[in-house]
Amino acid sequence: MKPYAFVAGVGVISVLALGTVQAVAADTRKELRLDIAPGGTVNVVSSSGSVTVHGGAGHQVVAIYTTHSSKVEVDQSATPDKGRVELRTHALGDQPLTGDEAKVEYEITVPAGASVTVSTATAPITVEGLTGDVMLESDKGQIVVRNVARAHVHVRGVAAPVSLADIVNGHVEVTSSGGAVQMVNVSGSKVSVGTASGNITYRGDCSGGGSYAFTTHSGAIDVTLPETASVDLTARSVNGAVQNDFPLEAKAHPSFVPKSGSSFAGTSNSGLSSVELQSFSGRIRVKKQ
Amino acid sequence: MNCQQFQEVLPYTIESGGSAEEEEHLRTCPACAALVEDLRYIATQAKLLLPMHDPSPRVWTGIEQALRHQGLTQEGRLSLMGQTAVLPAQIRSWTPVGWVMAGAALMAFSALLIMYRPQLPQASSSAQNMSAQPAPLPADDQQLLRGVSQRAPDVSGAYEDSLREVNVYINDAEQAVAKDPQDAAAREQLLEAYQQKEMLYQMATARSLP
Amino acid sequence: MTQAKKIIASGLTEAEAIERAKGGDAESFEALYGLHKRRVYSLCLRMTSNTAEAEDLTQEAFLQLYRKIGTFRGESAFSTWLHRLAVNVVLMHLRKKGLPEISLDEALEPQHEDGPRKDIGARDNVLAGSIDRVNLERAIESLPPGYRIIFVLHDIEGYEHNEIAEMMGCSIGNSKSQLHKARMKLRDLLKLSRAEKAARR
Repeated sequence: MKPYAFVAGVGVISVLALGTVQAVAADTRKELRLDIAPGGTVNVVSSSGSVTVHGGAGHQVVAIYTTHSSKVEVDQSATPDKGRVELRTHALGDQPLTGDEAKVEYEITVPAGASVTVSTATAPITVEGLTGDVMLESDKGQIVVRNVARAHVHVRGVAAPVSLADIVNGHVEVTSSGGAVQMVNVSGSKVSVGTASGNITYRGDCSGGGSYAFTTHSGAIDVTLPETASVDLTARSVNGAVQNDFPLEAKAHPSFVPKSGSSFAGTSNSGLSSVELQSFSGRIRVKKQ
Repeated sequence: MNCQQFQEVLPYTIESGGSAEEEEHLRTCPACAALVEDLRYIATQAKLLLPMHDPSPRVWTGIEQALRHQGLTQEGRLSLMGQTAVLPAQIRSWTPVGWVMAGAALMAFSALLIMYRPQLPQASSSAQNMSAQPAPLPADDQQLLRGVSQRAPDVSGAYEDSLREVNVYINDAEQAVAKDPQDAAAREQLLEAYQQKEMLYQMATARSLP
Repeated sequence: MTQAKKIIASGLTEAEAIERAKGGDAESFEALYGLHKRRVYSLCLRMTSNTAEAEDLTQEAFLQLYRKIGTFRGESAFSTWLHRLAVNVVLMHLRKKGLPEISLDEALEPQHEDGPRKDIGARDNVLAGSIDRVNLERAIESLPPGYRIIFVLHDIEGYEHNEIAEMMGCSIGNSKSQLHKARMKLRDLLKLSRAEKAARR
C-alpha cells in the first residue's frame, strides 16, 4: 500500500504544482508608454481589479497592468492629436466574465496637468498627486482621491465608499447613492456632496469663501470645524435630529425660522464660506474640532 | 426725372436702390421722399408682427381623429390640450441608447416620475419600513435592472438597493414640495433626488452595454 | 436657440422629437405641433383672414407634416421647411377655390393711383412712428386677397421675390409690382384710419 500512497501523494503534489504554474502563467504583466499632449486626458475603463493613478514627472503616460485570465485584454487607443489616451479592459468573446476573470490591476503615472477619468464596476480607484481634473465613477469600488490642487474633482458612485483628502482650491462634486463620503481637508470655491443613504463626514475648515453643500436623504451628516472657521452655516432635517456644538452667532435675517432640534442657522468669524446641510431623515451634527 | 417716372420704377428699386437719377429725384422731391419713407416703414413694421394667434383646441382634436381614422396612430395616447406627457413604455422598447437619452434629461425624469408617482413605494422616509416589505420597483427600474443583471451581475444588487432608496427619496421630496411649493430647500432636495436617479440610470446603462 | 426649442413640454429637444416623429411616435409629433402651431396658424390666418379657414388649413398642414416628415433631411431648419409646407397648403387651397384674386398677372383692382402721388407738404403726413400693430393687422386683413398673400409672404414671412414667384407661378417682376400695390393700399388704409381717429377727437 505504501508505494501506492506515495505515488498518489506525488501525483497530488504534481497536480497542485501544475495548477499553480498554470495560474502564474495566466498572470500577465505589461508596461506601456503612451505619448499625450500637454493637458490631455487619460481615460481608464475597467471592471474589477484596481486602478491607481499618480501624478509624476515626464511627458508620457506610463501604464503597468496585470491581467489574470486569457479571457481579457487591455485595449489602448489615442486620438490623432494625443489629446485623449484610453486604456480599456476588454472581454474576449460574448460571455460576461466573472469578477476574477475580468480582474486587471492598473498602475498609471500621468504627467503634470493631465486630466484623468476612470470608470469601474467593482475595482477600487485611487488617485493622488494630480494637478489636472479628475472624474471618477464606480458602482461598488472604493474611491480615494488625495492631494489634488486647483482642479475639478467629480465623483459618482452607486455603493462606492468615497474618501477625499487634501483637496485644496478645488471644485468638488460628489454624487453617491449608498456609499459613504468622507472628506478631510477639502476646500475650494464649491464642494457639493449629495447622497441618498450614504453618510457624509467632513473634517476641515470650509475655507476659501466657497460654497459647501451637503445633502442627503437618509444618511447622517457629521461636520467637524476648527474654532477659526469662517462660515455661514445652515442645517435642516425634516425628520432627523439636528445638533449643533459649534459656536455660532444668530443671523440677523435667516432665510427660514430655525426650529430647535430640526434646524439651526448662524455665522462664525464673519461667515465667509456658505455651508448648507440638508437631510430628510438622517441626523445632522456639527462639532468643534 | 419727374414724379410719375420715379413712381413707375419704384416697385423694382425700392429694395435694391435706384439709379443716380432716381436717387437725385428722391433727394429733391418731398412728396416722393415721404411716399418711400411710408412704404419702407410699413415693410419694417410688418417684419415685427409676431405670430400672435393660437388655433383653437379643436384643431388638434381634428388632427388626432384624422390620424387615428387613417390608422396612423393608436388609441390610448396621453394628450392634454396639446401638452405632451411621455409614457416611457410607449417611447421605445429597450435599447441602451434610449436609456442613455432618458437618463440624460432631468426634465424627462420629472415627467416620468410624475407619471409613476402612484407606483412609488408609499412608505415613509424611514429605512425600516423599506426593509420590512420592499415594494415592487416601477417597470422601468425593473427593466434597467434586468440589463445590469445580464452584463454585470456583481453589481445588480447595489443598483437595486439604490433604486429603492432613491425612489423613496423622490417620493419624500415630492411630498415636501407639494406641502409647501415655496420651500426652496424642498425644491432643491427634489432636484437632488432626480439627479440621484439620473446618475443611477446613466451608470446602469453604461454597465449594461456590451 | 429659444428655450422652447431646447426643451419641449415632453423634455425632448426639437431634433429628438423630429427623429422620433419620423419613426411614427405620436407623442413627439404632438410636441412638434405644440412648438409650431402658433406660427403656422398665424400664417394661415393672415393669408386667408378667415378663422375657420385658417384652422382647417392648419390642420391640413400638420396632417401633411405627419405624412411627409420622413422626407425632412435637415438641409434647412425644420421651421423653415414646415413653414414652406404650410404656405403651399394655403396656396393650393386658394387655387382650388378658383379665386381669380390670386392670379397675379392681372391687376386686381382698378388702379386708383394712375397718376403720381403729389402730396405737397407730405412731410407732415408721414406714417413713420404712427402705426400701431393692431391697426396694421386690421389693415392687412382688409387687403384684397392677392395683395394680402404677397404682402404676408414677403414683408411678414420674409420670402424673397424669386421664392414667391416660384410658389405663385408668376414672374419676379409681377411679385414686386403686386407687393408695391399692397403697400400702397396699406398706406392709404392706415392714413385713413389715422384721419378718422383725429376727426373723432
